[in-house]
Amino acid sequence: MKQLVNAFVAIMIAAFALMYLGAWMNKSEGYSGGNTLTIYNWGDYIDPELLTQFQKETGITVIYQTFDSNEAMLTKIEQGGTNFDLVVPSDYAIAKMKEENLLLPLDHSKLPNLSHIDPRFMNLSFDEGNRYSVPYFWGTVGIIYNPGLTHGLTFKSWNDLWDSRLKNNILLLDGAREVMGMALNSLHHSLNDTSEDHLQEALKKLNTLSPNVKAIVGDEIKMLLANEEAAVGLVWSGDAAEIMDENDKLNYVVPEEGSNVWADNLVIPRSAANVEGAYKFINFMLRPEVAAQNTEYVGYSTPNKDALALLPKDISGDERFYPPKVITDKLEVYDNLGKRMLAHYNELFLKFKMNND
Amino acid sequence: MENRNRWSNLYLALVFIVLYAPIFYLMYYSFNSGGTMHEFEGFTLDHYREVVQDTRLIIIVINTLVIALLSSAIATIIAVIGALAIQHVRSRRAKNTLLSLNNVLIVSPDVIIGASFLILFTIVGVKLGFSSVLLSHIAFSVPIAVLMILPHLEEMSPTLTDAARDLGATRRDVLTKVILPVIRPGIFSGFFMALTYSLDDFAVTFFVTGNGYSTLSVEIYSRARQGVSLSINALSTLIFLFTVLLVVGYYFLTAKKAKKPSVELTAEAGVPR
Repeated sequence: MKQLVNAFVAIMIAAFALMYLGAWMNKSEGYSGGNTLTIYNWGDYIDPELLTQFQKETGITVIYQTFDSNEAMLTKIEQGGTNFDLVVPSDYAIAKMKEENLLLPLDHSKLPNLSHIDPRFMNLSFDEGNRYSVPYFWGTVGIIYNPGLTHGLTFKSWNDLWDSRLKNNILLLDGAREVMGMALNSLHHSLNDTSEDHLQEALKKLNTLSPNVKAIVGDEIKMLLANEEAAVGLVWSGDAAEIMDENDKLNYVVPEEGSNVWADNLVIPRSAANVEGAYKFINFMLRPEVAAQNTEYVGYSTPNKDALALLPKDISGDERFYPPKVITDKLEVYDNLGKRMLAHYNELFLKFKMNND
Repeated sequence: MENRNRWSNLYLALVFIVLYAPIFYLMYYSFNSGGTMHEFEGFTLDHYREVVQDTRLIIIVINTLVIALLSSAIATIIAVIGALAIQHVRSRRAKNTLLSLNNVLIVSPDVIIGASFLILFTIVGVKLGFSSVLLSHIAFSVPIAVLMILPHLEEMSPTLTDAARDLGATRRDVLTKVILPVIRPGIFSGFFMALTYSLDDFAVTFFVTGNGYSTLSVEIYSRARQGVSLSINALSTLIFLFTVLLVVGYYFLTAKKAKKPSVELTAEAGVPR
């Protein structure tokens, strides 16, 4: 008995000593106390040096936490119990958060640097007037291909994917909106089309693509393409950049019929504890030189037109990631189609997948 | 006969190589001066320096240890009481039901446990952070500790307690001087099991962390998504060595006890006052 009590006391002493040490370290680093800003962002989606710079300028300590999908982030915010001061969701997630009244309306007078953002990326359908969100990075959906294996095809058009020489050589993202959108685009329809005729037409067209499709996969698409397991893939531009980093033989293109443009945005959730700090941080990130440095680090496309001017030509001039106006005019944001239409999209996509196996 | 022995030894060696090779591979590259795990360029301690200088990471390590120690200690106490209660149930059916309920909690997926904790905490209004992590770790450790303690209780001969009572021991004496010393090995193994469970739990913790409070497994996961940096290797090496120390410590504790259990028993329990 004595030994048990002794062991218990020793454990408790050790635990409380550690707790005290932790609290002391937290205090000396400024993590506790009011002057902190908690940011909830995707992994590796900001230059850590900028966090230090912000800390030096304002004295606000930044706590950086990460998530790996909009859905995971949504669950945490919806459930409450957290107070993140700044979150970086994608477009459709913002529409959803707006609907559920999770976001704080932005006071634009506190964000003078908003003027640096290219008007093209303002006022998008998921958040008209940018009442809740500030653009952070953007990108497209397109085709990544391996010129050595594609028989001279350059994928100017989505219809090149249907070329019979690509038999069993295409990887698709496992996303209903992406794949259905691709089919709709190839028929010169909008990727937000809701007419039943057009959707059935798209499904029919997709089914004729089946012989060329090798697999419909999730995140592993990056590894498979980098390892040259397939010649062609339907991917997001951000993934494409990563794949091309791994394997520089590959090339990325947005077909001329148009495609999806996505955007990740800074928002302040209603549960934020340090709203002033969040405004300061957004304004800081909108500064052209800061945005430029961040863009070089992250490698996605920046919506900040003054930052773009500061970037080296081989980044800002890369038409794969900053496509010319003829193409950007045809890019569309995913509209929030509503639960029923979305379910219908999913159902059609499922039919295609079943047909494909 | 000898031949078969050699094969089984070989097999055993192979199993251990498979189990330990990835860990040693990881440890090896934690000393790599190049930035990747592809080729070894030269020896360096830079990654360890990086870990030591990263105060946020150290705070997280401390958090993890505090949670592990506190939750497993509290869980063990609850489990001892729980095991005694289960032992006391006379009806065979009721006892089996209780045991199965206990086991269901062990085999049920962590993700579901984590999600239900998240929902529970937010309904009750517990703020996500230290207390939510501590509570959920206590909760998932209790069934494990119960499972480690119960066999020792079952093994204990009932004559022991009967004798103690005959000699005039009060209920309290029976508990503190007979039962607890006899099941002590079970209590310790329950504690250590709970400790390891708490140290490496990811799924449950992922759901209930928040507000800047994080534990090591969650932090490593979110860092590893950005590509495994070698400082994670360094950190993992340190953690591995720490666990080895724990296991060795536990081994010595039990080995010492195994030598002289009977002596203590008579000294502590047998003497009536």
